[in-house]
Amino acid sequence: MAKKAKSRTIAVRLISMAMTGYYRTLIRPRAHRPLSMMKYDPVVKKQVLFLEATKGGKNK
Amino acid sequence: MQISQQVTTLVDNLPKRLVNFFARYPPQIHSAAVRRPAPAKDQDYTPKKVESPYTPDRDAKGAPGEKKFGWTPSRALLVTSEKVRNPFLPHKRYGKWEAPKYGLRQQADLMKLAIKYNVDALLPPSRKSIEFKQTRRAERGLQVKGTGVGHKVKGHKWERTMESRLEERRKAMEGMPEMVRMWKQRGHGRGWRQWPKRSS
Repeated sequence: MAKKAKSRTIAVRLISMAMTGYYRTLIRPRAHRPLSMMKYDPVVKKQVLFLEATKGGKNK
Repeated sequence: MQISQQVTTLVDNLPKRLVNFFARYPPQIHSAAVRRPAPAKDQDYTPKKVESPYTPDRDAKGAPGEKKFGWTPSRALLVTSEKVRNPFLPHKRYGKWEAPKYGLRQQADLMKLAIKYNVDALLPPSRKSIEFKQTRRAERGLQVKGTGVGHKVKGHKWERTMESRLEERRKAMEGMPEMVRMWKQRGHGRGWRQWPKRSS
């Protein structure tokens, strides 16, 4: 049986670079480059850089 | 003759429980007054380890500075000679601890009775004696269960790790303007190399 086709988009997690543990989940096209943006972090109450986290970081 | 009469009346006035106890453990042999003098710390007799079943190793919650087998004035009060067994203390025999002849509750009862009739000095050394309690209070001060003095508090994980987490956050926020500048310089993430790893 043929494998199920991968979806065109994936959900990614953007982590606050203020190291507060705050993150946002966004959906981007699979083929797109990793996301990064300035967003508000409510813990430090400021706009900080959010970077997309690579998956499976724990084991690698 | 008169003295013996006085003694007789004193004994008559004592409750039967105390009389029986003194008959079984005569004060001239067992009482705290005639026991071996308590070894002082600076004397040549300094036991490296005062053995006691009341201080087992499994007790991990002890006060941080307290030595489990060290010399303390209160522990020295309970050291009695090997030949005459103290019915109020556990006894090591054939490598095993034997329970005291009188448990702590019975000791407390006897001690209260003896204090009432003013003959508590005739009882053997006990953890329930006024002398022991006062010495221990002098040693420990306010280290009473429930006051928190001399106790370690584990706390929640968020409380234990709070300091290091705040420090990490502070460092990150210090480096944030430089990071944002680099990010803008590299085409808003196009040339970015150090993507964070997802930890959970």
